[in-house]
Amino acid sequence: MIMPRGQQLLLPAKPLFIVLSLFTALLLNMLENVGLLGNAAWMPDFLAVVLLFWSVHQPQRVGIGWAFILGLACDVHQVSFLGQHALAYTVQGFLATLIHRRLLWFSVPSQALQVLPLFAISHAISMVLRMSLSGSLMGWPMLFAPLIEACLWPIVSVILLAPQRRAPDPDENRPL
Amino acid sequence: MPLGTLDRTPPPFFKQGATPLHKLIFFSCLSVLIMFCDVRWQLTQPLRSLFSLGLAPIQWMAQQPGVIALRLEDFFQDNGQAQKETALAKKQLLAQSLQASQADQLQLENKQLRSLLELKDRVQTTGQVAQVIYDAADPFTRRVILDKGAINGIHVSSPVMDESGIVGQVTRVYPLISEATLIIDKNHSIPVLNNRTGARGVAFGESGGAPLLELRYMAANADIQENDVLSTSGVDGVYPPGVPVAKVIKIEKSADSMFARILCEPLGRAQGVRHLMVLEPVGIDLPARPEIEVVKTLSRSGGRR
Repeated sequence: MIMPRGQQLLLPAKPLFIVLSLFTALLLNMLENVGLLGNAAWMPDFLAVVLLFWSVHQPQRVGIGWAFILGLACDVHQVSFLGQHALAYTVQGFLATLIHRRLLWFSVPSQALQVLPLFAISHAISMVLRMSLSGSLMGWPMLFAPLIEACLWPIVSVILLAPQRRAPDPDENRPL
Repeated sequence: MPLGTLDRTPPPFFKQGATPLHKLIFFSCLSVLIMFCDVRWQLTQPLRSLFSLGLAPIQWMAQQPGVIALRLEDFFQDNGQAQKETALAKKQLLAQSLQASQADQLQLENKQLRSLLELKDRVQTTGQVAQVIYDAADPFTRRVILDKGAINGIHVSSPVMDESGIVGQVTRVYPLISEATLIIDKNHSIPVLNNRTGARGVAFGESGGAPLLELRYMAANADIQENDVLSTSGVDGVYPPGVPVAKVIKIEKSADSMFARILCEPLGRAQGVRHLMVLEPVGIDLPARPEIEVVKTLSRSGGRR
């Protein structure tokens, strides 16, 4: 892969770490539900952020198929219509593969700005489906969810790239 | 450059698999199809059960912080509060013991009278206690997830109640968990009986989003007052008769409508409750419904051509 000049060469990502991070995101989503913030509309969807992160950074490993399966899992857990999140994540995954070559040339804050529309589209699909199937309209707090997710992007970038930023040749002076 | 920095297997140049656009079309169509099957025909229950089984370990993990917090709370609860609770429980026990001792006698008397009248014995229901795991994420449906499922013998349409009244009804059963729709959900309706007058009616979830019930289709001049208690009538074959459901809090009568708008407050706590009782649906013991005779229309005049 052609990389921007002066950027650190990353170690290969471990598949186990990818899977673990996706499941952790799903767990965080469930914690939102189980906790007091049960059904607030503005709560960010951690799974969408982590899924987008991996489909941008590792498009060979995490693609649209994963997005679909995890979307179904999300639907079952949230008791929404089966396929609602699946469709939203599928579209988001497709848009991610469209921009993944361009996105990594930008700095992390401007990356966050560019993924914001993707999160917004994903939420919009989910909302339109819910509205047309059950006739219930979500309130304006829902607009905060994509914004919060975009703000999470830099944090997620630091955390999920940390294992790949370790030294390729660890010694006593530089164990990590 | 050290060897570890690069992937050992280079990305394939020619065998790229399906293009993203094809994948998008395929998975979008698949999800729309699944959604259609789910909404129109309710065919996707096996798929849901499969996913819910897969999610069970993660769900269990997500529950643990709450469980630990509760244990800590119990642990650090002070002595005074515990004594207060014990005193309250004793008072309640005293109040109930009189009723309980009378209830035995009344039941016996009732049985004898019923045998005199040759009525069918009142349907007995059994139940089990379930714990609420979480509220469903959609803010516009009122559903809770319970920690008992098909392996515990929960059936679809089982009534769910707490200590003060009916709370809802089980609408979906997974192997390990089940989903209950609360009576305040706008798509839920429950047949009720006014305890004071004996008038029957149907209470629906309030559509405005407030945690209230609405007693629809009651005539504007019907005998109903505020603070009337509504209980289940038992005509539905789902809810056991005589369980309190709601209390009338507001009656609006308008000149342009035949019906009064009657708002009721549920007696069972719909939110923030931890333990619920899942009853067996009464209908399991009831005989099968008689078939409705289809009245054949006699308008055959258009048949001649």
